Parts: sequence; structure tokens; C-alpha cells
Amino acid sequence: MQQVLNQGKTLAAPVNQPHIGQRLWGAVKRGGIGWIVPISIVILWQILVEVGVIPERLLPRPTQIVAAAWKLTESGDLATHIGISTQRAVIGLAIGGGLGFLLGLINGVFTLSEKLLDSTFQMIRTIPNLALVPLVILWFGIGEPARIFLISVGVFFPVYLNTFHGVRSVDPHLIEMGRVYGLGRLAMFREVILPGALPSILVGLRFALGIMWLTLIVSETIAARTGIGHMTSQAREFMQTDIMVFSIVLYALLGKLADVIARGLERGLLGWNPNYRSR
Amino acid sequence: MTTALEPQTGTAVSIQAVTKSFGVKPVLRRLSLTLEPGTFTAVVGKSGSGKSTLLRLIAGLDQPTSGAVVVDGQPQTDHNPQTRVMFQDARLLPWKRVLYNVGLGLNGDWKPEAERVLASVGLADRAGEYPGVLSGGEKQRVALARALIHQPRLLLLDEPLGALDALTRIEMQLLIERLWQSRRFTALLITHDVEEAVVLADRVVLIEDGQIALDVTVDLPRPRSRGDAHLAALKAQILNRVMGLA
Repeated sequence: MQQVLNQGKTLAAPVNQPHIGQRLWGAVKRGGIGWIVPISIVILWQILVEVGVIPERLLPRPTQIVAAAWKLTESGDLATHIGISTQRAVIGLAIGGGLGFLLGLINGVFTLSEKLLDSTFQMIRTIPNLALVPLVILWFGIGEPARIFLISVGVFFPVYLNTFHGVRSVDPHLIEMGRVYGLGRLAMFREVILPGALPSILVGLRFALGIMWLTLIVSETIAARTGIGHMTSQAREFMQTDIMVFSIVLYALLGKLADVIARGLERGLLGWNPNYRSR
Repeated sequence: MTTALEPQTGTAVSIQAVTKSFGVKPVLRRLSLTLEPGTFTAVVGKSGSGKSTLLRLIAGLDQPTSGAVVVDGQPQTDHNPQTRVMFQDARLLPWKRVLYNVGLGLNGDWKPEAERVLASVGLADRAGEYPGVLSGGEKQRVALARALIHQPRLLLLDEPLGALDALTRIEMQLLIERLWQSRRFTALLITHDVEEAVVLADRVVLIEDGQIALDVTVDLPRPRSRGDAHLAALKAQILNRVMGLA
């Protein structure tokens, strides 16, 4: 298809290499139609700032943001900030998500522990984790543990709820079949319950990733000396709008990256499920 | 586990005055039935007659309210490892490839045997597929292979062909008959298809209101032709009784 198109062009203009515009268009077509709108918005934004419709003081032009990004990358500050932010996010996710996963499994399998714990979790779940900020500062001060605690609390509930729900919604017919085929408790869990709950668990993980970034931004804006959130609030102090907007773009990119990883996990782990295959 | 080369004998099943109630409603009422080792018995009946409940009791998936189910001389209290069940839905694990579904619950070097059993149901080339891409008939063949790899002495078939199209169903009936003849397990087939019952079974039992209403021996040579006059007469006789016409 691509080849046929290119051949047609070479007939019109005797140049072997396709024109840069053609190549861009090819990339757009391959990358999907989804890029058309964001690219148009960026172009429109650049034009509106150039002609003065948007005051530069409030919103810098895209090219300035790219320049600011380049400067931050060159100085090495960007790598430091991203590194520390990612570290916080991953530790918080590991603690909160890990606990949510374990307790979701335990409460899903054992009715006794569900009766004991689930209603408590359901009560605590309704409290937004960011409402705990004043209390957390009192308990942990404004250091690293406070931020990791907030992220852990935030990601715990989506992982817990979806793991629990996933375990409970495994097809009872399959469990009965497992009994008939002599699966012991451990084999039943490994072969039937865990794989059956996995789609739901991964949905929980994706929710958790969203909450993870949100909590990270807020907690880094409060009294941090490193991290992307700190970079943003510092830029605000000095009215460096280009860095402020760049930080926001950075959050969007990191959020997208996390989503891509989650989707990759879904494709890898749920390859058997026609709903998840190569989308 | 015994190997396929050893002569297999089916288990004897004795159902002794079994009553099973759900709430106040009795589904089976003092029902007694004996299955001789290695025979093929079909149980027919309308929906709600209690035929599936009977199978679940024999499988050890439920316990009778009163009476006893004795399999191989042992009262049934839990699931018997020599009994395997084929359900109406194939109940394959969708996250396991076909070969691993067949080998479910087995330890050691089960793969060559699984491949052999898959070949005996005509699915040797689908071992690497996920169940999601198989047709209904293929799924039931995998379920049959999964049951047979355990060398069961009692195979319970809970309307396993009910959801298949007519041609696939005939194909599966022939396959089940062939495997039963070569392996000599005791087979109990629950079905609402009277023709299927008379084609496959040595004996057809009709359950009505939780009791045995009819018990006929099918003494016709195998393989049975569906167009056979004796078979048609027998089918008509049972059908009339089911519909309350005779």
C-alpha cells in the first residue's frame, strides 16, 4: 500500500527520497489519526501567541517551552527531578499497591477476613487521601515518608477493590470444574482464581497509576526540595511560565508512559483474552 | 495412574432410596438405580425433572438429603478421583492453551499422554491454541480429552452435546461411543434428546417428578444406524411416555 503510493509520487516527481511532508504524513497515518488534533492545537497555540491574542506573560509559545526543556535537560536538573519523582511514585505504588493486592486476595478467598476487614476498608475508602495532608505533615513532617505514605494510601484502594472484586467474580463453574478435576487449594488458586481475577486486577492498577501521579504532584508541591512538583512551584515563584507549562507536559508524558506500561502488561498477561489482544 | 494398556473396568454405582430436597421442594424422591460396571446408561427427562441433580449427587458435588450413593462399594461423601464429569459448557480455562487444559491437575511428565488423548479426539493440531478460538464442538472435544486423560472408571456426561449443532452432535456421539467401547468405563449420560439416548445407551431411564418412570433396555447392535426401524420405534415409545401420550 505504502509502496504503491510512493511509486505514484516518484512518477510525478523524479526524486527517490520521499518529500519530508510525505514522510510526516506517512508517520501520521501509521501513528494513527489520534495525533491530528493535538498537533493542530499546538500549531494554533503558537500562532495565537505570535500574533498576540494570548499574552506571552500568561502562556509562553510552544517553541519557548521546548527551549526551556532543552536547557533543563542540558543542565542535568531534569534527570534529577524526574529520577526522584519516579522513585517516590514507584516506592509508593509498591507499598500501597502491594498491600492492596495481598489484602484483596486474602479477603477475596477467605470469608472470615473479609467480614473482619472489608467494611473498615469501605469506610476509609471514602476519605480522599489528600484530605490527610495536614495530619500526615503532623505525623511524618514534610520529608520523604509523608509523600510516600500519601501515595501508598491513594493507590491502596483501587488495587484492593479491584483485586477483591476480581477474585469474587471468577466463574463459579470453573471453580467447580477445578474441584471435579482434583485441584488442591494451592493449585486452584494458581490455575483458576488468580488468572481469572487478573483482568480486574490490572484495571485496578491503571486506576492506581492515575491516583499515583495526582498524589505525587500535590505532595511535591508542598514543601519539597526536589522533584517535578518542586520544579513547578519554584518556577511559579520566579514567573517562569515556560518551565511551569513544561512541567505539566512532563506529567502528561509520564502519565502516558505509565499507561503504556499498564497496557503492555495487559497484552502480555491477558493474551488469551480476545478483548485485549493487540489493540 | 494406570496406563491405557491395562484393561479398564468401570465402577458399579448404586443409588439407594435417595431423596434430595432444595428447601422444602423434593427434587428426587426415594430414587433407586443401579449401574452395572462398564455399561452405558442414559437418563432422560424434562427440564426440572431432577436428572442433573442426580448426576451431581453421583459426582459427589452435592450430598443427598437422605439415602446413599455408593460408588465402587464406597458411600460417596466427596468427589471421587475415579469419576470425571463433562459439563454442558466445556468449562475450559480460557487462559490456558488447549494442551494445558487437558493436563490440568496432573503432575510429572503428562504432556505425551495429553498429546495422545488430544489426537484420539481428533484435535492433535489444536494443542497450542487458546480455547477462545475453538468452535463449540472443538471445546467439548477438549473437555472430553481432559476427562479421559485421568482414565476415569466412571464418566458422567451432563448434557455435553446440548449446545452443539446437529451434525457436530452426531460426530461427537460417534466419538464418545468409540472411546467408551475401547476404554470400558461406566458411562452415565444426562440428555433431553431421546434419540441421542437410544443411539448411545444400553439402557434408557426416564425420570419424572424425581422418580424413575420408565426403564428400558436398548438391545440393538452397535454401531446403530439412526434410520433403524427398531430404534425409531423405541424412540417413539419413550417420547410418547415423556410427553404423557401413552
